[in-house]
Amino acid sequence: MNWIGLWTLIKREVGRFLSVYKQTILPGVISSGLYIVVFGFTLEQRISEINGVPYTLFILPGLIMMTTLTNATSNTASSMLQMKLLQQLPDLLTAPLSGFEISLAYIVGGALRGFINGLMVMLVGILLIDMPVENLIGTLGFIFLVSWAFASMGLLLGQIADTWDHLSTMQNFILTPLSFLGGIFYSIKMLPDWAQSISLFNPIYYMINGIRYTVLGVSDSAPATSFLMALAMTILFSTTAIFAMTSGKKIKQ
Amino acid sequence: MSAPAIQISELKKSYDDVRALNGVNINIEQGQFFGLLGPNGAGKTTIINILTGLVLRESGMTKIMGKDTVKDYRFTRSQVGIAAQELSVDWFFPIEKLLYFQAGYYGISPKFAKAQIDQLLDRLGLSKKKNSRLRQLSGGMKRRFQIAKALVHKPNILILDEPTAGVDVELRHDLWQYLRDLHQEGTTILLTTHYIEEAELLCEKVAIIDEGKILKEGSPKALTRELGQSGITIQLSGDDDKLSSCLEDYSYTRQENRLHFSVEDPDSALPNIIKKISACDIHIQRVEASTSSLEDVFLSLTGKGINQ
Repeated sequence: MNWIGLWTLIKREVGRFLSVYKQTILPGVISSGLYIVVFGFTLEQRISEINGVPYTLFILPGLIMMTTLTNATSNTASSMLQMKLLQQLPDLLTAPLSGFEISLAYIVGGALRGFINGLMVMLVGILLIDMPVENLIGTLGFIFLVSWAFASMGLLLGQIADTWDHLSTMQNFILTPLSFLGGIFYSIKMLPDWAQSISLFNPIYYMINGIRYTVLGVSDSAPATSFLMALAMTILFSTTAIFAMTSGKKIKQ
Repeated sequence: MSAPAIQISELKKSYDDVRALNGVNINIEQGQFFGLLGPNGAGKTTIINILTGLVLRESGMTKIMGKDTVKDYRFTRSQVGIAAQELSVDWFFPIEKLLYFQAGYYGISPKFAKAQIDQLLDRLGLSKKKNSRLRQLSGGMKRRFQIAKALVHKPNILILDEPTAGVDVELRHDLWQYLRDLHQEGTTILLTTHYIEEAELLCEKVAIIDEGKILKEGSPKALTRELGQSGITIQLSGDDDKLSSCLEDYSYTRQENRLHFSVEDPDSALPNIIKKISACDIHIQRVEASTSSLEDVFLSLTGKGINQ
C-alpha cells in the first residue's frame, strides 16, 4: 500500500469540499431547515401523526438520509468528472497509486462530506424541533454506512459520465426520484398496495426506514432488513466502483 | 550492464478502427537524451501514455529500468516524471500546495518534499507565485509548473510531451537550458516534439515516427549524413582545363563555372576540396556549404514535412 499517497489524496478530497463549504455543507442545512418549516409546519396541521409520530418529526430522518446520500454521491461524482475534464486525472493515474487506493481516497472524501451533512441536518432537527435520537450510535453508524455506499455510487457515476449533462441526467432522473419515492415524506402504508410493492424494490426505502428506526424507533421495514440492505448496497457499490477504477475501462483508453 | 531506461518492443495499439501504433520498438539507454520526432497524430503521445499507465497497451512490451510497466507499475511510475502536453487546471489549491500533493502521491511526505519543492519553485521562477491558483498564471508559467510537477519526486526519467508547444522564444531557450542541466546531472530524458530545431539541439538520439511506426533511429548528425542532402557549391572565376585532373578523386557536377559536390559532411570535406583546387592554381570566386537538417531527413523518409 502507498499509505502516504492514499492519505494525500484523502486530504486533497476533503480539503476540496471544505474549501467550498458554502456549496458543499451549508446548502444541505438550509434546505433541510426550509423543508422542516415549509413542509413540516404547514402539513402538520393536516397530517398530525404518522405511525404515532408528529409529521415534522417523522420527515426528519428522511431529510437526514436524503441530504447524506445526495452530498455523498455528488462529491465523488463531480470530483471524478472534474478531474477527467480538467486533465487532473493523469496526475493520479501516472503516480504509483493503485486503483484501489484512488477509489478508497475518493470514497472516504465523499463519505465524510455525506456524514458531515447528515450530522448537520440531525443537529438542525435537534435544535429546531427538539428531535429525540433513540440510538445515537446506531444513527451515526447508519449515516456513515449510507454515506459510504453513495460515495461509492457517485464514484462509479463519475467514471461513467463524460459530460456534466450526462452526470446530472443520471442524478436527476434516477437518484432524486428514488430518494423522494423512498418514503421521506410519507409512510408507504399510506400508498395503495401496488405502490407499496414497488417501493420494496427501492433500496433507498430501506435506508430511510433504517435511520428512521434508529432515530425514532419506528419504521415501515424491519430494522434488520434495513441494515442488511444498506450493508448490501455498500458492498455492491464499493466493489463495483473499485473494480471499474482498477480495470480503467472508463478512465483509460 | 544496466537495463535500458526505457525499452519498448513490438508495441501495438488501436483506437476503434484506427491503428495508432503498429509494432513500435525503441531502446533508450540510462542517461540518454532521446527525441521522438513526428507530426501530430504520429503516435508519440500514445507511446508516452502507455509507458505511464494512461493508456492500456494492446500487445507488445513496455519496460522501464528493466521492469514491466503493467506488472511492476508502482516501481516504474516512481521512476518517471511526466510533463504532459495538455495543461491541467485546478481551481481549489495554490500551486505550492499542488506540488506537495503531487509529492505525496509518490509517497513523499511534506517534510521530505519541502527542499525539492522550494528548489524547483526557485529554479523555474515560480517562487513569487507559489500562493497563486493555476488560473492566475500565464501560459508560460503553467508550462513551468508542469515541469516542476514532473520533477517533484526526483525521477530518474523525465518524459516531456511537446514541452515548448505554444511557448515564447525566451522561455523556450530557458527551458532548453534547464533540460540540458538535468541531462548533465544524469536524468534520462524522453522528449516528443515536432520542433525540428529542439530535437537537433538537445537530443543525442532521435527516432522518427510516422503513422505509428518508427521509420529511422540514430543521432541527429548520423541521420542527416545518411539521409540528408548536404553539399558544397564552388563558383570559379573562370573556366579552366586543369580542373578535371585536379579533382579526379571527387565526384561532382559542373554547370559552366559552378561545381557542386554531394558530401555527407560538408564541414570536413570543404578544406580538402579548396586545398586541391588552390593547388592547381585555380581561382575560387565563391564557396557555399549547405547542411541538411532533420527536416530534410523527415521529408526524405515520409515524403512530407513534419508540420503537415
